[in-house]
Amino acid sequence: MKRNEFRVRPRAAPSSLIGAGFVAPALLLLVAMNLFPLIFNIYLSFTNADLSGGPVKMVGGHNYTVLFNEARYANALTVTGLFVLVSVSVELVLGFVLAMAMRDRVPGKAVILTVLLIPMMLCPVVLSLFWNLILNGNYGILNQLLALVHLPQPQWLTDDDLKLVSILFVDIWMWTPFMMLISLAGLNSIPSYIYEAAEIDRAGRWMVFRSITLPMCAPLLGLAVLLRATDALKQFDLVMAITGPNDASTQTLSARIYQVVFRDYKVGLGSAYGVVILVAVIAVATIFVRYIEMLGRRQGKAEA
Amino acid sequence: MPTKPIVTFAIVAGAACSLLFVLGCRQKEQPSEPASGSSTAATAPAPKKLLTIWWAQWAPADGLQELANDFGRTENVEVKVHQIPWASFQDQVFQEFGKNQTAFDIVVGDSQWLGRGATKGLYVDLTSWLPSAVDLKTLHPVALKYLAEYPTGSEHYYGAPAETDAMGWAYRKDWFEDPAEKAAFKKAFNRELSVPQTWDELKVVAEFFTRPDKKRYGDVLITGRGYDDIVMGFEQVLYAFGGAWSAPKTLKVQGTLDSPDAVRALDFFKSLLKYSPPGGSKLGYGEALEPFVNDSTAMLMNYFAFFPDLAKKMSGKVGFFAMPKEGDRRFASLGGQGFSISNKTSSPQQDLAKKFIAWFLQSDTQKQWVRKPGGFTANAEILKSDAFRKATPYNAAFAESMDIAQDFWNVPAYNELIAASAQQLGEALDGKKSSKDALTQMASEHEKILQQATP
Amino acid sequence: MRAVRTVLVVWFLLVATLPLAWLALTSVKTYQDTISAHAKFVPWSGPLESNPSGADSVRFAATLDAYRNLSKPVAGTPNDFYHYLGNSIVIGVLSTLAAVCLGTICAYGFSRFRIPGSKDWLFFILSTRFLPPLAVVVPVLVMYRWFALENTHLGLVLLYTSFNLSLAVWLMKGFVDEIPRAFEEAALVDGYSVLHTFFRIIVPQASTGMAVTGVFCLISSWNEFGFAMTLNNYEAQTVPVYFAGLQGNIEGVPWPRIAAGMMIFVGPIVLFTVLVRRHLLRGVTFGTIKQ
Repeated sequence: MKRNEFRVRPRAAPSSLIGAGFVAPALLLLVAMNLFPLIFNIYLSFTNADLSGGPVKMVGGHNYTVLFNEARYANALTVTGLFVLVSVSVELVLGFVLAMAMRDRVPGKAVILTVLLIPMMLCPVVLSLFWNLILNGNYGILNQLLALVHLPQPQWLTDDDLKLVSILFVDIWMWTPFMMLISLAGLNSIPSYIYEAAEIDRAGRWMVFRSITLPMCAPLLGLAVLLRATDALKQFDLVMAITGPNDASTQTLSARIYQVVFRDYKVGLGSAYGVVILVAVIAVATIFVRYIEMLGRRQGKAEA
Repeated sequence: MPTKPIVTFAIVAGAACSLLFVLGCRQKEQPSEPASGSSTAATAPAPKKLLTIWWAQWAPADGLQELANDFGRTENVEVKVHQIPWASFQDQVFQEFGKNQTAFDIVVGDSQWLGRGATKGLYVDLTSWLPSAVDLKTLHPVALKYLAEYPTGSEHYYGAPAETDAMGWAYRKDWFEDPAEKAAFKKAFNRELSVPQTWDELKVVAEFFTRPDKKRYGDVLITGRGYDDIVMGFEQVLYAFGGAWSAPKTLKVQGTLDSPDAVRALDFFKSLLKYSPPGGSKLGYGEALEPFVNDSTAMLMNYFAFFPDLAKKMSGKVGFFAMPKEGDRRFASLGGQGFSISNKTSSPQQDLAKKFIAWFLQSDTQKQWVRKPGGFTANAEILKSDAFRKATPYNAAFAESMDIAQDFWNVPAYNELIAASAQQLGEALDGKKSSKDALTQMASEHEKILQQATP
Repeated sequence: MRAVRTVLVVWFLLVATLPLAWLALTSVKTYQDTISAHAKFVPWSGPLESNPSGADSVRFAATLDAYRNLSKPVAGTPNDFYHYLGNSIVIGVLSTLAAVCLGTICAYGFSRFRIPGSKDWLFFILSTRFLPPLAVVVPVLVMYRWFALENTHLGLVLLYTSFNLSLAVWLMKGFVDEIPRAFEEAALVDGYSVLHTFFRIIVPQASTGMAVTGVFCLISSWNEFGFAMTLNNYEAQTVPVYFAGLQGNIEGVPWPRIAAGMMIFVGPIVLFTVLVRRHLLRGVTFGTIKQ
């Protein structure tokens, strides 16, 4: 009998060379397509490059000075921040409420769940182009329905205050199922004996919700919030399809870059914006990874 | 169990083969010649030369392709008109110019692009060639000025008029001729219901037809904020009321763009919005067609290029008229594009391009051009001729409009000027600012952009 | 409580499905009916004359013309809808295959071997997912010009592969981690090579995982818009870009045809969603939450 048959630990880490061989192709592609462009971006942000070519000159920090002093920069930050904040919170609340409603045995639950989950898998651009038809001021079905029940019919696509609302509306429509899915996972992970114990202790409904359900769901919900927030930061498709890239009330950071690079042809300034976003992304990604690690540790402790 | 590895190998092998296939395709997609790969194989023994023209996606481009096939037959050349959606036409063209060799030889560019094309060396200078290729007197002076010259008035040419266009009005002839409507109008205003000659008349007619409870509205204006829609829509009103983008000689913006006349113009433009269907404060060129086509609106403002299709779709129900006047001032926003030759294509291709443009501008060709869907000519004789004016319901109005056309800035920084204008005008229309504030701020932003502009 | 729950669920179901139902309805209308100021809900197959457009009726004549017209190019466009669909399919499938293969191999490496700095590498892989496409589009554009990759299928495939790799690696790592090491151990002890072990043991067991990962990668490539639009791909345009380009169409936006095209475009997604419904949670959370 060989000694190794009884080992419980895997044998000492095999030659890293083989491992490197497995990992290398993917990493090489990622470095070429992601890391290199970022470095190149940093270089470009110090030049006055133009989209239509022509001689490229180093301009030092000029692009950054322009960027930080632009009204559109602060505007883009505000819009992006507002978008992330509102969309994620509304989706969280709605998704959680929906999950609570779907938690128990509902007839046809599997089917209902699948149907509810479809919107988040669809193409954002294609859907928002179609939402333009629904929200249209002249013949859109939404306003016609509102007229039927004698409610005011706001101009979703033209009223300045409502344009961001329209985009939020479409985003929330698409991603609430995501929050619902994760909330369900969180709710289902709470072992039933805790509820039974609470029942024995005759804890009130609200008490149960506040001190058992919510805290135990919190980690997963936190993860969901982080995931959605990072996605919402990238928001570009909906803006392009519903209002176009240069509308001050909906211009997110990505839309601003598009306007600067492809309409104003200022590649240098666009790259400076890219660098600023990069810094934000690194910060967010770090938070995200720490959070996942913490979750992993918690789960490990819970299982131990 | 033994089948699973086979399946996996099959998938991997399939992926590898597909990759090789795509790589092979890439070879075909990147030919050495500055042309997008021709799908029609040359049947002539000698390889046919290929002339590539880039234009926007619309009916005139189809017309150009048909017309160009005639040229191709006589010269044994293949002409390919490549169409790009309007929304990304500008982006793609200027992005393509960033390469060492453009995929196109000719670009049918907007009049505003001339400045950028000229100063960045993207367009070939046609100053010495154009007068020899065509008798400049046969071209309508307005078309020549705006679609070919940069700087305007300098007689330096970087383009040649291809599609001439201007803004006009379409109206529901059947509503105007309806006896009940005519009677009601006569009773209310004591004159006949007819095509408006002045802006005030237009407002009166628009108000007459506005009946929201019956989902009827008076006018549809061009107010889109995406590109230059709202700027072009407003431009003709601005000039009719005595305003201008800049003073004629000094080119100073402040004092002209924010003058009391200009403020009156913007106020008037805003007042017309009252008679527009809901959502009318943000309608691009294409979107504006919808409230007219779905029988909601009496009058539609738009470029003549859209009218042939409209006439076809609503034949018998629609008529057309040129921009009304204010006092004795009448202006129509210019549209249209001109042929410009790319500097980043080979010399023989540039010569071929010149040959094509010269052929296009001949009177005989222009006579064919106006028969193509959406084809509008710059040839002054044809425009004056009765035959042309009577050929379609909109030709007469178009010919009139060419005499009163007015364009926007065509300097290299035009895009920023347009963006600033669109924003300020938009805010004024949305009621966020008074007309005076919007125009004052727009004027100061224009000044700043013009001063900062680096060629 | 039960009543509230039912109402809530029904309400959400309606909100989720009504826009899609409206999409389906629009795809069988004529153009006039889609932009009519009096919305039309009820399809009927009676003769067209007795239901003139513009009338107040909520009925409309249903027609499959929009679907039939999909094979004709819209006025002013060079190709019909199916050409762009083909592009989407080719680019989607190729990039998915590449991402899944590379991702599985990479995940195996991270899972079974001690890679120096693996935590940092995994962090790097994850962070590529957070990057807005617009932030990198400019250097990518310039790079592609150097290698003549701009405007080609291959260019977009490469890009999508690399952006899907993060999803693929993280998902597959989760799946591979779940495969008990006993089989490999046994095989290695018996003298089989690592590669052999990988192909004969890991891959078959991970095949479900690979299929699930493949579906999510495909959906991600299928729906992508930012890069597809900005990389000037007039040769290899995908469907979302095609639809976006129809917005300013000179004959007015062809709503019925767009709706018909959207139905066909969205169909596979719905199908795939149903197929992987059990793994949806894992897929959309990057493999960080397993159920």
